[in-house]
Amino acid sequence: MSILEMSHVSKAFGGSKALSDIHFTVEEGEIHALLGENGAGKSTLMNILTGVIPADEGSITFLGKTYPNPSIAQMEAAGIAFVHQELNVINDLTVADNIFLCRELTNKLGLLRKKEQIQRARELFENLGVDIDPTVLVSELKTSEKQLLEICRALYADAKLLILDEPTTALSNNEIDHLFGILRKLKEQGKSFIFISHKMPEIFAIADRYTVLRNGEFVSTGKIADTNAHAVTSDMVGASYVDADVYESRELGDTVLELKNFSGTGFENVNLSARRGEILAFTGLAGCGASELMQTLFGVLPPLSGELSVNGKALHGSSVKFMKNGVGMLPANRKENSVVPDMSILENYYLAEHEISRNKPFINRGQELRRYESHKEMLHIKADDCENSIGSLSGGNQQKVFIARWLNIGADVLLFDNPTQGVDVGAKAEIYRLILEFAKEGKTILINTLEIPEIQKVADRCLVFYEGRIVKEFKHSEVNEHDVMLYSTNAI
Amino acid sequence: MKKNKSFGETLSKAWSQYSFIFVMVIVMVAYAFTIKSNGNIFKWSHIAAILGSQNTCIVGTMALGMALVIITGQIDLSIGSSLVLTTGVTIMVFNTTDSIPLMILAGLATGALCGAINGLLVGLAKMPPFVVTLGTMLIYRSLTLSVVRSIDPAISGSSSSQFAMNSKNSNYEFLRMKFGTGKLTLGSFSIPYITFVFVLMVVIFIILTEKTKYGKSVYAVGSNEKSARLAGISTTWVKISVFILTGLMVGVGSILQACKIGNVTPASSGVSYEMYAIAAVVLGGVSMAGGKGKIIGVIFGALSYTTINFIIVSIPALSVDIQDTFQGLVLIVVILVQTIGPVIKESFRRARKKRLAAK
Repeated sequence: MSILEMSHVSKAFGGSKALSDIHFTVEEGEIHALLGENGAGKSTLMNILTGVIPADEGSITFLGKTYPNPSIAQMEAAGIAFVHQELNVINDLTVADNIFLCRELTNKLGLLRKKEQIQRARELFENLGVDIDPTVLVSELKTSEKQLLEICRALYADAKLLILDEPTTALSNNEIDHLFGILRKLKEQGKSFIFISHKMPEIFAIADRYTVLRNGEFVSTGKIADTNAHAVTSDMVGASYVDADVYESRELGDTVLELKNFSGTGFENVNLSARRGEILAFTGLAGCGASELMQTLFGVLPPLSGELSVNGKALHGSSVKFMKNGVGMLPANRKENSVVPDMSILENYYLAEHEISRNKPFINRGQELRRYESHKEMLHIKADDCENSIGSLSGGNQQKVFIARWLNIGADVLLFDNPTQGVDVGAKAEIYRLILEFAKEGKTILINTLEIPEIQKVADRCLVFYEGRIVKEFKHSEVNEHDVMLYSTNAI
Repeated sequence: MKKNKSFGETLSKAWSQYSFIFVMVIVMVAYAFTIKSNGNIFKWSHIAAILGSQNTCIVGTMALGMALVIITGQIDLSIGSSLVLTTGVTIMVFNTTDSIPLMILAGLATGALCGAINGLLVGLAKMPPFVVTLGTMLIYRSLTLSVVRSIDPAISGSSSSQFAMNSKNSNYEFLRMKFGTGKLTLGSFSIPYITFVFVLMVVIFIILTEKTKYGKSVYAVGSNEKSARLAGISTTWVKISVFILTGLMVGVGSILQACKIGNVTPASSGVSYEMYAIAAVVLGGVSMAGGKGKIIGVIFGALSYTTINFIIVSIPALSVDIQDTFQGLVLIVVILVQTIGPVIKESFRRARKKRLAAK
C-alpha cells in the first residue's frame, strides 16, 4: 500500500522549469532512494512535499488524504518529517529539551515536567536502540548522534514518513552501519523513508526502491534488487551533450606544483604534480576533500603532513606567502568568500594585490586604474564605472573581477574552486575560454568542480576524490560523466 | 544608467551619505537661535568655543580611533578609563622630568599599550571586544585611582584625588597658558591651538582610511571578514591594529587633557567618554555593523554633540542634568530617520506606482 502519492507535479521558477510532470510514490515500510545529480529537482520536489513551496500543478496524497495547498504545519501534523543535511538541533539545550522543543510537557502552572521528559526520552531511545543520555547538552554529541537525535525527534512527533537528506555525509563507516541498523528496525515498525544520497554503495545497502530525476523530469523508478549501480548512474547522467569543444592540447612545461603524501583537514595522502600550462580538474561529491585541499594549497587551512612545493620551493604559512609565490585562489561560494559588499568594483579588484605590495603603503590611483582597465578589457568585464558597488554587477562579471584580482598579483598558479557556481550559461562559456587562454599563456590551473561537462571542456587531467583520497585519474579523452560518477560515488 | 536625477533623489542620496552635515547645520542654527533669544548676538567666538571645547578635541580625537574599531565591526568601551590612566602617566612624567618630548612619548606609549592589551586579547585570544574592553574599562580606571591615592604628591602634583601639572616646572607656562588654552588670532577670528591638533589627527585619519592600502583593509575586514581573509588580508592583525591606533589617539587626547585642563581626576574625569565617542562616530554616519562610514563624519558628529551641550548650558531654564537626555534624543532621532527614511521612501514609491496603475 502506498502511503504517499505525488502525481503530475510541476513547478517553474520564473521562466525555467524546475520540475515537470513528476510521479513519485512511497510504500508503507520502505526506504525509497531519491536520486539525481545536483539540480535534478530533488530538493524542489521535497520542498513541495513538505509545504515549503507550492507546486504549480499536480496533487499530493498522503495516507489517503489529498493536500491541495499544503502548508509546513499541515504536513508536519500529517506525519512527514524532514531531517535536513545541516542539522536543526539546538546545541545549547539538553537532548531531552531538544526532543520536546515546542511540545514541552508542562504542569498546571506552565512549568516543565523535566523528569517526565527525560524519562520519556530515555524510553524512546531504548525502543530504538539508540545510546544517548537525554540529560547531556547537544553540543557534546557527535555529529552522528545529532543525526540520530533529529530522527528520534521526528519519530517522537509520530512521523510516518521521514525525509533523510544526505544523512551520511558527516558519518564514519561504523556510524553509518549503526544508523542503517536503526533504519531497518524502524522500517519493520512500518515507518517509511525517502533517502537522498549520492553514494551508490549506501543506496544499494539500504534502499528498497528508487526513483531517478534528471533536469526536473522523471526518468525511472523500480526495485533496487532489479538494477545495478551502472544502470542507475546512466539514468542519472543521461546521454549528456557536450557542446562545441574549445579544448585543444598544449605543450606542457616544467613541473610547477608538487604534492607528496600531502595530508590536511578533509584529505589525506595526496600525491600530484602539475606542470606549466596544465589544467587539472578535481572532482567528487560534496565533502570529498577537494575543496579543503585547495584551501590548504592557499594557506587558508593548515597542512597536517607531507610536502608542498611551488616552483621547487617548499611553501607553508599564511595566504600572503602563497600569493608572493604566485598562487591565487578563487574560492567557492562567491557571495560569502569573495565579495566585499560595501566596496566598489575597483576596491574589490585591488584588495589582494595590496597585501603583497605593502612596502608602498599609499594607493596610487592612476596605476590602479590602468591595471584595472587592462584586466577589464582582457576579461571582457561589463561594468560602467569602477566606482559602482560590486553588487551592481551580474554574477558572471563579479566572478571575472575576482579572477582579475588574482591576475593582478601576477599569479601563475590559479586555484579555481567551483568557478562557475551561480553564473549564467554565457558567462560560464567565457570563463572556460579564459581558463584555456591562461593555460596557453603558461599558467597552471587547478579547478575543483562537481560539473563533469565542465571538466570535459577544459581539463587535461581529472582527479576523482572520494572521502579525502584520490581514487582515480582520467586523461582528457577518458573523461565521461558515467565513469566519473562511478568513481566519485565509489560504486566500483 | 541615466544621469538625470530629480532634486528629491539627489537630496535623499546626500542625506544618506552626508546626514552628519545636515545634523550639524540644524544644531548650529538651533544654537544661534538660543543665543539670540538670550539677547546676545551669535558670533565667531561662540563657534571658537565649540571648536576648542574638550568635548570636541579630546573626545573627537579618541572618536577617530573608535571609528576605525567600529568600521572593523568591533567596539572599545575602555577609552574613557584609558584616557584617565594615560593622562595620569603623562602628567607624572611631566612633573618628574619637565620635558615636553618625554611627556608626549609617555602619553603615546601608554595609550598604545592600553590599546594593544585590548587588541591582543581580542585578536589573539579571540575574545569578544565588548567583554574585553568592559574588563579593561574597569581595570584602567581602578588602577589609576589606587595609584593617585598612594603616590607621593610631588609626583602626582596634587592632593590624593588628582594628578595635576606642576606649575613650578619651566615648561608649564608654555604648555598650559600658551598652548593648552591659547588661541591663534587672525583679525577678528581666533582658533584654539588644540583645535589644530584635532584637525591634524582628522587629516591623518582621512588619509589613512582613504589613501592607504591599510585603510582599505580595515573596511574590507568590517564588510566581510571571510572574503577579506581569502583575499590575503591578515584579519587578526587588522583587528589588533585598530585598537592600538585607538590607544595612540587616547595618548594624543591625554596630552590635550593635560595641557588644556591641567589635571585629571581618576574618579570623575573621562566618565562616559567612550559613549560620547561612540555617539559621535554613529552620528558621523559610521555603521555599527561595520564596513561603512567616513572619517570626515566623525568631526561633524563630535561638533554636533558639543553644540548640543552648549545649547543646554545657555538655556537658563534647563539644568546640566538634562544634557544627556537631549544628546540621547538627538542620537535616536538621527538614527531613526536614517533607518526609517528608506522605508517611507519605498511606501511613497509604491503609492505612486499604484496611482499610475489605476490611471
